[in-house]
Amino acid sequence: MTLPRALAGVRVLDFTWVRAGPWATRWLGALGAEIIKIEWPEHLDILRTNRNSIPPGIEPTPNAPGQFADTNVNKLGLTINVRTPRGLELIKRLIAISDIVIENFSSRVMRNWGIGYDEMQKLRPDIIYVSMAGFGHTGRHHHYTTMGPSAQALSGLTFASGLPGKPPAGWGWSYLDDTGGMYGAMCALTALHHRNATGQGQHVDLSQMITGITLNGAAFLDRTVNSREARRAGFPPGNRTVWPGTPVVNNYRGPTVAPHNAYRTKGGAHNDWCVLACFSDDEWQRLVDLMGRPAWATDAKFTGVMGRIQHQEEMDEGIERWTLTLEKYELAQKCQAAGVRAMPVQSSEDRVEHDPQLRARGMYTELDHPVLGRKKFQGVPFKLSRTPAAIHRPAPLIGQHTRQVLQERLGLSLEEIRAGYEDGTFWPKGMPLYPYIQESLT
Amino acid sequence: MTDRAEVETSSSPPGPLTGLRVLELADEKGQFCGKLMADLGADVVKVEPPGGQATRLVGPFLDDVPHPERSLYFWHYNTSKRGITLNLECADGQGLFRRLAAGADIILETYPPGYLPSLGLGFDELARLNSRLIMCSLTPFGQTGPWRDYLTSDLLQLAAGGQMACCGYDPEDVPEAPPIAPGGGNAWHIGSHFAYMAILAAVHYRDVTGEGQYIDASIHEACALTTEAAVPIYIHMGQVVRRQTGRAAAAEKTEPTQFATREGAWLNITRSGFNLTPARLRQLAEWMDQYGLAEDLLDEKYRHANAIQANVGHIAAVLERFFAHISLEEAWHGGQERGLPWGAVRSMDEIVVDEHLRDRGFFVEVEHPELGRTFTYPGAPAIYSRSPWRLARRAPLIGEHNAEIFCGELGLTKAELAALAESGVV
Repeated sequence: MTLPRALAGVRVLDFTWVRAGPWATRWLGALGAEIIKIEWPEHLDILRTNRNSIPPGIEPTPNAPGQFADTNVNKLGLTINVRTPRGLELIKRLIAISDIVIENFSSRVMRNWGIGYDEMQKLRPDIIYVSMAGFGHTGRHHHYTTMGPSAQALSGLTFASGLPGKPPAGWGWSYLDDTGGMYGAMCALTALHHRNATGQGQHVDLSQMITGITLNGAAFLDRTVNSREARRAGFPPGNRTVWPGTPVVNNYRGPTVAPHNAYRTKGGAHNDWCVLACFSDDEWQRLVDLMGRPAWATDAKFTGVMGRIQHQEEMDEGIERWTLTLEKYELAQKCQAAGVRAMPVQSSEDRVEHDPQLRARGMYTELDHPVLGRKKFQGVPFKLSRTPAAIHRPAPLIGQHTRQVLQERLGLSLEEIRAGYEDGTFWPKGMPLYPYIQESLT
Repeated sequence: MTDRAEVETSSSPPGPLTGLRVLELADEKGQFCGKLMADLGADVVKVEPPGGQATRLVGPFLDDVPHPERSLYFWHYNTSKRGITLNLECADGQGLFRRLAAGADIILETYPPGYLPSLGLGFDELARLNSRLIMCSLTPFGQTGPWRDYLTSDLLQLAAGGQMACCGYDPEDVPEAPPIAPGGGNAWHIGSHFAYMAILAAVHYRDVTGEGQYIDASIHEACALTTEAAVPIYIHMGQVVRRQTGRAAAAEKTEPTQFATREGAWLNITRSGFNLTPARLRQLAEWMDQYGLAEDLLDEKYRHANAIQANVGHIAAVLERFFAHISLEEAWHGGQERGLPWGAVRSMDEIVVDEHLRDRGFFVEVEHPELGRTFTYPGAPAIYSRSPWRLARRAPLIGEHNAEIFCGELGLTKAELAALAESGVV
C-alpha cells in the first residue's frame, strides 16, 4: 500500500533557479507537493550550464549536469516566456490555481514582469508568496544581490571559520544556499499552516543573507550584551575551543574543553583525519586508557581541563602520534566503544560508499534519469511515520512537462500548445527542439 | 542602535504558529528548532530537569559571570518559550508529563534513542492519549542503524557529515592545514532546520486529516545532505573535492575569490569573473581609475565578453592590487552598486551596526525584567506580511512557568506544587 504524502494536493509555482530556491522546492516536492518549475531556454538556470558535474561521455546539454539533477528531483518542468503577453496570461492562470509561488530573483524582477504580490493576490486571494532575495525586499540595500559565498561572508558565518591569524577558511560550499533553501521551504510550510488556520495567504519576504546571522546568535549577544569585540586574537580557534596562548573565551560552539581537535590518521591521504573531543575529565581518562596510558598522557598537568587547555600543543601532538597508528573508521569505532567522542572526517566518497549508518538508513536513492541513466540521488533526513517523504521523480529535462502541465492543469488543446511553440511562447523561435519535446507534440 | 523594537502588544496580529502547543525536551541539539517555532507564535513549553538544563552552563555568560540564568547561549536559543521543570524519571513526573502530552500538538525531543520509551513516554504510549500528537525525535544518528548510540558533539557531526572535508586552506596559505569545522554550532542548526520542516509538513497533514504522526529525524543525515555539489560530483564524476581557502571545495583547483582590503580585512567576490559583463567591467575600471589603479582594464579589448572570461586570472590580480588600497566598506558596496554580488567577510562588530538590518527591524530589544535591563537580540530572517515573527519574551528562568502550567492548567494547588518540589519532581 502506498502511504499518502504530507503535502498531497498542494501546488507550487516555482520560479527559482541556481541553488537556494531549487533546494527549497526539492523538499516541498519530496513532501508531496506538485512543483511546476518555470524555465526559459534563453536564460538557463546556471546549474544547467555548469559543466563540473557532467559525467564523461555525456553530451553537455542543459539536461546533463548531475548537480542540477540532484537539486531538482521531484519537479515538473515547464518552459514559458513570461515576457510575452500570451506567456504572462498563462502564468497568471497558473498562479490562480497554485497554493504557493516561490522565487529567488533579485527584489524587483517579479514586479517588473507584472506579477508582484499585489497582482498575485488579485489572481488568487489566499496565495502564499515566498520571495528569497539575498537582502530581502525590504531595507535600503534590497537591490543588492548575493550568491552563497557573498551571503555567508556578509552574515558573519565565513568569519567564524578558520585558523587565527590566517585568512578565513570559510565554508567550502554555498552553505547559505543550502540554508536559504531550507528557510524557503520552512517559510512556505509555516505560511501554509497559517492559511489552514485563518484562510489568509501572505507574502513572506525572506533574506538569504540574514538567515546566516541568527546562526551566530551567541556571538551576536556576546557583542551586543558584553560588548566583546569580534575581531580579536585567537578567534576563530580552528577546530579547538581555545587557541593556545590566547585568552580563554567561549567560542560559541559549545563548552570550552580540550582535547577538541582534528588529528591525522593512518594513510596520510587528503581525508585521513578524525576528530576527537573530551567533555570531562572522565572522558579524558578513558582516552588515556585507550591510548595505552603513554607516559606523557599520565602527567598530572593534563588531569584538569585548564591544564589540558594550557598544554594543548603538547597534548595534541601526543594524541596524534596515537591516531596515526589507526585507520579512521577503526579509530572512531574503538573510541566510541570506550566511551570517547570521536568520528572520522568523511569525504563525499566516504559518505556514499563507506558510511555504514547512511547505508543502513537508506540515505541514497537510485532513480532512472533519462540522460544520466540509473544513478544515486541524495535522500531525505527524516522519516515521517504516516506520510514518508521520498525522492520519487528525476529532475525534469528542460521543457519536459510543458504539454502535460498546459493540458492537464490549464486545459489547453494540443493545437493551442503547438501554436505556442511556433510563436515563441513555449520555446524560443529558431532554437531546435529536443526530440522528447517534438514527441510530446505529436 | 535600536529604534524598531518589536514588542508583542495586543494590537500585533498573532504569529503564524499561534495556537500550537509544543513540549520541548531538547538540549543543544534541538533547542534552535524550538526557538524557530516559538518566535513564530507557537506556545513552546521547554521541559527541563529540576535545577535546569545543562545548556544553561554553556557560555558566553553575561559579564563573564557563570550562572544558569546568565548564559547568552541559552538566552539566544530559548527566546519566546515558557519553561517548566519536571523529573521524567519518577512516577509523578511521568504522570504530569502524560497529562501535558494529552493536550499538546507537538513534542520535540533529543534524548538518546530508547530513553523516553523506557520511561513509558514513547510515541506509541503518548499517541494513545492523543491521536493528533506529532512527535519528532531529533537525534545525532536517528533511531536505527549501527551508529545509533554513538556519542557526539558539533565537531563530531561536522566531521562525519562531510562539512570538514570541504572546509580548509590552499597549501600556499596554510601548509599541512587540517580540515576545518566552521564555528557556531551549525550541526545543530542544520538538524533543527530539517526537523522544523518535517514537523510543519506533519502539521499541514494534520490540518487536513486530523492525524498525528511520529518523525525520526537524523542530524547526521541532515549534515550529510548539506554540502551542496560535493556528493553529486562524486556520484556523477567519481571525483572527490579538495579543500581551498575561502571558496568551494573542488575536484580541480579554482581561482581565489577572497582578497585583503586596506585594513587587512577580507572581501569575497563569489567567483572570479562571475557576472562580469563588459558593461560592468567598464564601470569597475572607471571606479578603479579614480585611484589610478585601473591598469589595462579600460582597454578596448574588454568590450568583448570572451576577452573578459579569457583573462579572469589577470583581472583578479589587478583587482587584488586595487582592494589593497581601499577599505572593506568601500569595496563591497562599490561592487554591489555596480551589479556584482560581492560580500565583505563581516564580523559581529560590523553586523550589529548594519543599517539595512535596522531598516528591516532586525535588531530587537528584549527586556530582562529580573535584571532591570534590556538587550539587543538578532531578529527575523523573514518578514511575514500577515502574521509577524516576534520575540515574545526572553528565555525562561528555571521553572519560571511551573505555577502557570501545573496550577493554572493542570489544576494543582500551590501547596501540592510545593510538595512536588520538595520531592524533586519539579
